[in-house]
Amino acid sequence: MSSRKSRLAAAIMVAGALTVTTACSSGHSNESAKTGASKAPVTATTISVGTAEDSKGPAIAEPGAKKGGTVNMIDRDDFSHLDPAMVYMNYNAEVSLLFTRQLTGYKTAADGSQKLVGDLATDTGSTTDGGKTWKFTLKDGVKWQDGTPITSADIKYSIERTYASFVKGGPTYIQSWISGDKYREAYAGPYDGKGLDAITTPDDKTVVIAFQDAHPDANFTLAMTGYGVVSKAHDTKEEYDKKPFSSGPYQITEHVNDRSLDLERNPNWDGATDPIRNAYPDKWHMTFGVQAQQSTERFMADNGDDKNAFSFHNQVHTTYIDKVKADEKLKSRTLEGLTPYVDYYYINNTRIKDQKVREALVKAFPHQQTRQLQGGTSYGDYATSYMSPTVLGYESYDPFDVLKKPQGDTEAAKKLLTDANALNTTIVYAYNNTPVQQKVTEAIRTNLEAAGFKFVPHPLDSKTYYDAIQQVNNEFDLYWGGWGADWPTGYTSLQPVWDGRAIADGGQNYAHVNDPEINAAMDAAVKIADPVAQGKAWAAIDKKLQDKAYSIPDVYQRSLSLYGSGLGGVKFDTLAGLQSPLNIYVK
Amino acid sequence: MLRFLVRRSLGALVILVIVSMVTYALFFAIPADPARLYCGKTCSPENLALIKHDMGFDKSWPVQYWDWLSAIFTGNSYNGVNCSAPCFGYSFDKKELVGSILADRFPTTLSLTIGSAVIFLLFGIGTGMLAAHKQGKALDKIASSASLVVSSMQIYVAGPLALVALCYSTDLLDLPNYVPITEDPVGWFTGLLVPWIVLSLIWTANYTRMTRSSMVEQLSEDYVRTARAKGMSGTSVFMRYAWRGAMGTIVTVFGIDLGVLLGGAIITETTFSLHGLGELAIHSFRDSDLSLLVGVTVVAATLIVFFNIIVDAAYALIDPRIRLA
Repeated sequence: MSSRKSRLAAAIMVAGALTVTTACSSGHSNESAKTGASKAPVTATTISVGTAEDSKGPAIAEPGAKKGGTVNMIDRDDFSHLDPAMVYMNYNAEVSLLFTRQLTGYKTAADGSQKLVGDLATDTGSTTDGGKTWKFTLKDGVKWQDGTPITSADIKYSIERTYASFVKGGPTYIQSWISGDKYREAYAGPYDGKGLDAITTPDDKTVVIAFQDAHPDANFTLAMTGYGVVSKAHDTKEEYDKKPFSSGPYQITEHVNDRSLDLERNPNWDGATDPIRNAYPDKWHMTFGVQAQQSTERFMADNGDDKNAFSFHNQVHTTYIDKVKADEKLKSRTLEGLTPYVDYYYINNTRIKDQKVREALVKAFPHQQTRQLQGGTSYGDYATSYMSPTVLGYESYDPFDVLKKPQGDTEAAKKLLTDANALNTTIVYAYNNTPVQQKVTEAIRTNLEAAGFKFVPHPLDSKTYYDAIQQVNNEFDLYWGGWGADWPTGYTSLQPVWDGRAIADGGQNYAHVNDPEINAAMDAAVKIADPVAQGKAWAAIDKKLQDKAYSIPDVYQRSLSLYGSGLGGVKFDTLAGLQSPLNIYVK
Repeated sequence: MLRFLVRRSLGALVILVIVSMVTYALFFAIPADPARLYCGKTCSPENLALIKHDMGFDKSWPVQYWDWLSAIFTGNSYNGVNCSAPCFGYSFDKKELVGSILADRFPTTLSLTIGSAVIFLLFGIGTGMLAAHKQGKALDKIASSASLVVSSMQIYVAGPLALVALCYSTDLLDLPNYVPITEDPVGWFTGLLVPWIVLSLIWTANYTRMTRSSMVEQLSEDYVRTARAKGMSGTSVFMRYAWRGAMGTIVTVFGIDLGVLLGGAIITETTFSLHGLGELAIHSFRDSDLSLLVGVTVVAATLIVFFNIIVDAAYALIDPRIRLA
């Protein structure tokens, strides 16, 4: 048994232990939204690494499902990217599940537990050097939409083309791990005939990827649509973004920019090779330009073609949240789930250096009031960690008793400030100047002033908000920001945001935390080969970040959506925070 | 007349150049970096610089503006995509030439405008004339009151209400959708019926009030009284004298309204999920898509300027007292 396989076995044995229950408040009634009372616990998603057996098709069947029919999808916006190399946003990735396959992917069981499995590959890959070199073997029978087999050369080519200059906005993890941060200077892509030496294909079925350093969770990274397979024979470069060549169960028949996307079955897709996709409908008809209010009204009315409609991204409009939740008839076609996104209020550690002052900010923060202003319990559950419960290794931890007093403990905060001789410390709060955020700002002002801070609100235009807070020398002390893991491990959940060596203008370390202890712990965690042990290491880092009150975790975001009565098998994808198309069928 | 048209057209060109230049300047006055939108979540400085270079954002705005302006006459190439003159730029967001996008979106806005204009002109002017004819009587009072109430409504109120009442809950009419009239005339009509009804309802009210007041004003003019005194029939006085006099105001307002509507009925298109120029304007601003934003702005400005010239020219035809200088 290779070291990789040992790791897999260990992961499977403890998979059950990964289901973590938090004491986080997530009351689902309207009353709880008003009082912040804790009604129901949050259950973390179970993530594990599957075996070769788990990687075999077909996908787990949906009870009562049947094949046939057309599923309609209505949403506000067209997909901004369909070329796998440029797909990063969850919305684009979710639709790509229908026509783009990767080496690995996520298989969801009936109980909602998820496993990383081989998608095009026979398993989740193997490594004998702790994650520096990865080997994948392709399944028999995996084909392009024209019936030609998908080979290891296609996998190599797909990664090589992510280096090309026209590829914008996709993930850059694999490229950086192979060629360093300035990867485009090392290699310009395959279009001049040169290949990438770090990727080898000993035969048509085998691909070996060599990184500069160990990345034990690279098989999770390769599950991103951004590393989906692209056909060399049908690569149209920039144009590929409009109509990619299918390796999945459906192929694009027509894509009219901003208007519609139509899919029909790919006759060369074999369900026996696919452990992830069920592909029940014959066709998909997707239309864009439908605002959230319109889609909510259409789903509630449930008429005509809307009976067979769902939405990847449009949630229940805030106007209708109470009505939808109170309507018993709508319950059977309402989806609510936890997304991978966590809201934080970043404390600028360049300016607020005194830990006691930061602790006072955490203690005083009005989570209950700010959540209520943004949609109440449907907006999310109170967060006490930086990692989302959807991330492998997540552990509940509440050092400042936020869950006991989500409305903020201004007295305790005032005592902390008094003890630190820091009463009347000025807090410049930067916020997105929208009507909702203006109200949120007032709620924060009330609590911080009661705690003894001097509060200075600083409105920012929506278009320049991130540019402003991403400046290292910004003149703000507190600002909202969110983060979502790119794959469900601690690395992508914490490293981009809390690694002190990544502090730069435009960077993601918004809080400017540069703690040598945290940096060293991250370096160590990345090298842990066992995913469960690695998860624990990331959870320990999360706790250290909380203990030092580097920022204020606020809410684990939730999603509330509706779909038509004519559909079955509509599930919530917790990894993307969207409705999943994988098990949908027409009743 | 020809001299007038040539002179006004040259003036219009100057206006359009100024409008496009101001749009460029305003876009760059916002300190947001549009290249960041294309750079992804984990954006490295190297990738950001590459994207800026590819999109031309590494040049100063006057240089970018000159590149855009000169491409109209000389054409250009964007990321290997050839754009022959007249070239209005390339949308990096939609990966299409701006000219193609505008040409694709314009028929939707044109159909929306023409359909609703026919309805609101017929009903608005008709009701206004009737109200003026029956001035002070019950019909006049009902029409005036109703038009006051309806003209106070906004599309974002009337639109969703109409959608729920006519489409979502009852399935009485088709959901708003645009199909070209050349492909499916029936589908074109049924797909635009709800937007036409809502848009024209509000505009009908406006035109009713305007027509009524213009007609009432004309009917009290000396020349109308003289015509009556000379024994001309009431219908002739009403239609040949008063109506012709009132036309000037109506044509002026209609010309400007038409230009505005064709430039993009932003709220109407958003409310009814129609993919016309109005929706495109919103998207281009939201996505910081400069080329598209300038394209939509220039088209809207062109239409407004064009219809202003038409209105000015039409004056001479309607009212012989006016001569074009």
